[in-house]
Amino acid sequence: MEALLEQVAQLPGLLAVSRSALVRAWDAPTLGRALEWARYFQHLHGRFRARPRLRAALGRRLRQGQPGSPLGFRHLGRCAALLGLALLENRALPPAACRRLLQSLLRPGAAAEAPSLALLARRKAASRLLAPAPRPAGSPAALEPQVRAEAQMLLARLREEEEEAEPGGGRAGEARERLRWVAGLLEQLPQPRALRVVAAALQQQRGGDEEGLRGRAGGGHVAGPLLSWLLESQERFSAFCLLLPGSLLASLAAHYSQLRPPYLDLLTAWGSRLLYDPLQGRWHNSCLGEAELSWEELRERFDCLCRGPALLRGQTRAALELLKVQDGDFHICGLSVWTDLLMEVEKSLRKEEEELASVDNICYPVLSL
Amino acid sequence: MAQDTAVPKLNFEYWLDKATEWGQATTLESQKDVCRHLPQLQEFLQQIYETLKHMNSIEAIQQFPLIGQLLGRLCWNPFVIGYDESQKTLMWCLCCLYSSEPQNPVELKANSWIRSLLCHLLSSSKWESNEAGTNTFISALGYTSADYYSHLVKNMVLSLVTELKGNQFNGLNIQERVPASRVSEVSLFCLPLITLPDLTPLLETLLLCHGGASQELLSSEFLDAVNEAFLKKKISLSETAIFGLWLRHLPSLEKATLYLLDQLVSIQMTSLEEVACVVKDSLLPQAASHPAIFRVVDEIFKNALLETDGAPEVMTIIQVFTQLFVQAHQNNNKQHKFPLKAYFSRHHQPLVIALLRRPFSTHCSQHLKHISEMLKTLVEDESIRSFVDLFEIWFLIARFGEWLDIAAEQLLKASAEPDALLWLLAFYYSPQNENQQRTQTMVEARGVYDQLVMLFSCTVLSVKDLQAAVHKTDTKQSCTQHLTTHLLTSFLLFSSGGHMIAQEFISHITGTSDASKEVCSLLFRTAYRINRNGERNQRTVKLVNDLLQKLTLKV
Repeated sequence: MEALLEQVAQLPGLLAVSRSALVRAWDAPTLGRALEWARYFQHLHGRFRARPRLRAALGRRLRQGQPGSPLGFRHLGRCAALLGLALLENRALPPAACRRLLQSLLRPGAAAEAPSLALLARRKAASRLLAPAPRPAGSPAALEPQVRAEAQMLLARLREEEEEAEPGGGRAGEARERLRWVAGLLEQLPQPRALRVVAAALQQQRGGDEEGLRGRAGGGHVAGPLLSWLLESQERFSAFCLLLPGSLLASLAAHYSQLRPPYLDLLTAWGSRLLYDPLQGRWHNSCLGEAELSWEELRERFDCLCRGPALLRGQTRAALELLKVQDGDFHICGLSVWTDLLMEVEKSLRKEEEELASVDNICYPVLSL
Repeated sequence: MAQDTAVPKLNFEYWLDKATEWGQATTLESQKDVCRHLPQLQEFLQQIYETLKHMNSIEAIQQFPLIGQLLGRLCWNPFVIGYDESQKTLMWCLCCLYSSEPQNPVELKANSWIRSLLCHLLSSSKWESNEAGTNTFISALGYTSADYYSHLVKNMVLSLVTELKGNQFNGLNIQERVPASRVSEVSLFCLPLITLPDLTPLLETLLLCHGGASQELLSSEFLDAVNEAFLKKKISLSETAIFGLWLRHLPSLEKATLYLLDQLVSIQMTSLEEVACVVKDSLLPQAASHPAIFRVVDEIFKNALLETDGAPEVMTIIQVFTQLFVQAHQNNNKQHKFPLKAYFSRHHQPLVIALLRRPFSTHCSQHLKHISEMLKTLVEDESIRSFVDLFEIWFLIARFGEWLDIAAEQLLKASAEPDALLWLLAFYYSPQNENQQRTQTMVEARGVYDQLVMLFSCTVLSVKDLQAAVHKTDTKQSCTQHLTTHLLTSFLLFSSGGHMIAQEFISHITGTSDASKEVCSLLFRTAYRINRNGERNQRTVKLVNDLLQKLTLKV
């Protein structure tokens, strides 16, 4: 067993070398050996996949002595692809070794474990062909496919982590480490993109939770770090709430209770800063250029919150009522932003109820398609 | 060797010009043109690869100096890379051109260029950029571009499906209509990707997308390509989708039917169960529940029959198809089902209803008599003037041909008056009667029958006896020949005396005349019928199988 662990501990080094200039010294036989190692690791992965204790042991060994991007057991299963593609992109690889690499990766009769690179190329072309037309920024449409794909990979990685976590874990130190690791991952993306990816991930995970995974206490390990990362800094959270559409935020707030108070607080803070212009009869931002919401956007956010599930709706309205009272409990417009917001929200909810009621009166034909 | 390389060389300039013209396929015209040429291009690339794999990189450049340009341009065309196996062949070609020991700067540069192309094809950099940089987020996660693109394509398909479904009536929530041009555009982009399994949900959505327009939204190239892929079993679609395809694109339906016929005629039939399997897999019997499809398939079958002069194999296929169609119709649980008789002409309704009943062991003769009488009434009706009308009635009887085989069996087994059943067979083999051909056939058939019935209960029989009995009647018409073969084969299978001499006699019949195909078909049908009815007569079953073995070896 110890020998096995020793071997597995070679993987991080191997991957690191394959991305570095050290490959300059490799010749064809060396490359062949490296690919053999990759195939061996993949074989190990297949053997130990269904044996949790051995998996955990191997996973722990891989993580040791590797700050930065920790590898897990799963990486053993992906070895050939990881190594092959890394070497392919490494310009330092000399021609003889490279030719050997190409032959083993691409030529017909390549080993069965080798990744299907033809499928990869085909899918990449497909993603070019099927790419959606570039949408105008800030459109309320659902998150783009690219963002969703990155979110899914992030979630998959987090789930892998969760599966391989120490049983009975949850120590504070571990949580902090995990947060640091997630932060490190998300740093690889530009800020707006990272926020979108996290939003998509939380949305996807919520869908997963609803499908009955709620029983697992470990579910928190997946969404938990993401939420912690979001709430870690006020700037970040405020950027998050500015960037994403109200409907999405409302659905996230409905599911993740940790988000509700900060979100409402943020909206409150923004709302308090609005000033009323009696000449034009509308509320507007006091300082231009600051990252804040306009009156219309604020109203839309509250509207979305009030269309959510009962609990969320109740909390939001209670908060608005409280604010209205604290602000003087006015009943006419133009004096307190909270009065006006509450009036608008109630108006739109009433309108919706009327529409629904009138719909019931229409006899619509039964369609059989 | 020179000739082998000559062929690709001739086309080389053609394809290089094309590739230059297409560029990165950004205009609608170029996109349509690429899609039209994808299959031939793939073949051409295969040829190039076959040539290249025997050379080293230096020879390759000497042979095809412009190959770099060609491959380079094609690699930037997403339609080409997305198609079927073209990307594989292109990458193999690039491999062949890579030199393991570059001697000069030119070779070094070529190597570097090949690496760039491969990175462009395989790494997670954007399509347009030329860098080798991987998305650092993906590698930080420990995933590869393979994982990324797998997720990405699935998500894009999901987005497109959602977008296109907004086109359909969704309760009262009528979302914006998707414009026809968008549907058309999406179908064009999907064309190279049809055999990519990730795309199946999108294909299904497109096939069910109508958009309320009276014109066809989807290009016929797209519909054709989907049909081809389905027929060659490269993709699998839901029944609804494939029926949708056939309903909106007549050429696809025709192709599918002809493909089925071709398949069945060319395979070496070993049993009708096998044929039934193939027919069922084609989904055509199930699709024929749609009257429009039924009609088209029927027309094609009728034409096939006429063109092959009523070949017994084709007739058998039609009979099996009809049985499966009836079965599928009865198993269909949908609410809005047409009654079976609605698929057939109004004029023939009572006959149709009689034919649709499943044959049962008792009262068969009675029912057959009934069928025969109705048929006679129909045929002798004054209004049947044209050949077409007569053909329609004849085709109806022929497609439910199981009854004819049962009639032949019953004629010999049951000793009641044979006229009605004989008339049925006579009509089948000799439908026309302007010059009294059918009447003549009837007379001659009666003669043969009388002889056979006398020998039916003989337990010991010799080939000579049987031959003598048959030749007692003077048969002038060729139609009677066929009828006689039918009766004789049934006699051999179902009489106790006949069993003994069956092998010998059948060798005799099939040796002297061209009746082997007929006899074969009849044996196949009998085996199928017996198996389906679960009859207990094991001796007959064994005999049929033995005879078939002998015959199929000869044929």
